[in-house]
Amino acid sequence: MKETIESGSKSMLTKAGQNTGSSKNAKSWFEKPKLPETHFIETGVYTNPDIFNEEIEKIFNKVWLPICHESELPNKYDYRTTGVAGNKPLISVRGPDNKIRTFLNVCPHRGNTIMRNPAGNLLNAEPSGNPKNMTCMFHGWQFDAMGHCVDIPREKQGYQERLCKADIGLREIRSEIAHGGFIWVNLDDNCESLSAFVGDSFDLMSTELDSEPLEIFHYQKSIIPTNYKLWHETSREFYHDYMHYHNRATGMLQKGYFDRKYSVFDNGHAATGLTTVTYDAYEGSKDRHLTFPGMPKNGWKQLNIFPSCTYSLRASCLRVSVMTPISEKETLIEIRGLGLKSDTPEQRQERIADHDTIWGPFGRNLMEDLLAVQNQTAAMGNGSNIKHLLMAREEDSTIHDEIGLRSYYAEWSKRMGKKASSL
Amino acid sequence: MALLDLMIKQAIEVCIYESCLALNSEDWEKFLSFCAKDKFNYRITNYSPEIKKEQCWMERNWQGLKGILDILPKHNTNHSPLTRHITVYQINPTNTANVYDVVSIFSLYRTELDGLNSHLYSGQTKLFAVGKYIDQIRVDSESFKAEFIDRNVVLETRQIDVGSHIPF
Repeated sequence: MKETIESGSKSMLTKAGQNTGSSKNAKSWFEKPKLPETHFIETGVYTNPDIFNEEIEKIFNKVWLPICHESELPNKYDYRTTGVAGNKPLISVRGPDNKIRTFLNVCPHRGNTIMRNPAGNLLNAEPSGNPKNMTCMFHGWQFDAMGHCVDIPREKQGYQERLCKADIGLREIRSEIAHGGFIWVNLDDNCESLSAFVGDSFDLMSTELDSEPLEIFHYQKSIIPTNYKLWHETSREFYHDYMHYHNRATGMLQKGYFDRKYSVFDNGHAATGLTTVTYDAYEGSKDRHLTFPGMPKNGWKQLNIFPSCTYSLRASCLRVSVMTPISEKETLIEIRGLGLKSDTPEQRQERIADHDTIWGPFGRNLMEDLLAVQNQTAAMGNGSNIKHLLMAREEDSTIHDEIGLRSYYAEWSKRMGKKASSL
Repeated sequence: MALLDLMIKQAIEVCIYESCLALNSEDWEKFLSFCAKDKFNYRITNYSPEIKKEQCWMERNWQGLKGILDILPKHNTNHSPLTRHITVYQINPTNTANVYDVVSIFSLYRTELDGLNSHLYSGQTKLFAVGKYIDQIRVDSESFKAEFIDRNVVLETRQIDVGSHIPF
């Protein structure tokens, strides 16, 4: 007898009577999930270059983003170059008045990058310019730490009375220092205040962050072939703790893990509340003795700020992860580790060791997360391999509930003017 | 150069190169056999021009290093093999008898296996990191057995892709 083999098998019952599900043919594979529209995403959200460009315009050009920490510019005339929103080049400078200002790092003359080093001090002599000023090496235009143009070589000869220094200045970006001493910027001059944007989301760790000054001790970055949201989502759902041996040993297998609550806030921010981690359950690891002000021993809190920043406070060290989207499939990931500025050398060493056990390029968890998100991007391709991703777990807002993902896409949809479930 | 110096130099180079082969073949037990159990300290460091600070990205003693190597099979990881190429540049005696400072330069290549889209990339080799090994090596004055008492992997490369579960 001739047998026709069709793709897509029927579901089967196991001996225990459980339905095992079925394989799918093309039609059923691409069908919309039979779930509320708030509980799944169309993959074009991650793969479509037009969506990416729209995100830069409608989200990244309008939200507050942390770019670096104030301790990266501890002295007058220190500067730090960064980039946001598709890598628009920025420079932050601590002026002679001790105030940190942020500018577009672009010369208004011919559009060249003004300061090229990742960091430095304007008092150091440069081949092309005078100390205390930012000098564009191309034609020698100089700007002081307040963004004023202070020198145009052969100004009168070239521009006569038509243009002068007073007409020229750097584009200053709205900035505020807040939430543990981070420099936040917003490219939109007419944006809401930072405090309005974050709302009360930082309340859960304000004692830890703002009781005394913090200081950076760790910086790493990597350009990863993934969409920025996929990386951010690893901080918004903890169901993937199954992937991390460290988190299974120190968290999932410990009492109280499944009671940890997820909270969502206005504007797409979300947090996982305090839990206690059994660090010594991971072989070779130990209890964490140091904490932050107000933080219990071995505690862990995490806050995700829409659209691309995570504060993770694990007892002795704060990790702040910031994503800069480069394209729909390329993301600059920057990770900073911080302790208290008042640390003794011994305390600082302990915080660094704690930080590097889990995070850092040689930490146990980071690589696993990054492997996962770059493989998500590889597997999705241009979006034609899979049409929908799920974010449908509901567990009374506890740790494996995917409410953090849903709150993100509620805000995303509001700002983009379209549903993430049907583009 | 005196015969004794040559024997010490040879013992140190054997230690460096043989331990490198052990690392390349992921023979952790053999690598650790080149490290003084009572004293060995391993660090991965670099200087960050971004924050203008020396950084330490990993630090373990012998037991700590053994611990994370033993536990590797429990972790999801990138199994792409790493190949280190080392050249020893300097061997200098220290103020401690039979202990030498050794400076080597390494380049480290990764041959793709399962890190990302193996159908496309498995078998490709890319430069993964460059840096220096700053070692302290103790040489037994009778047996001429050399062993590490300290290794500082000083990275020049600061973007380490997705990172690494195994030491460089």
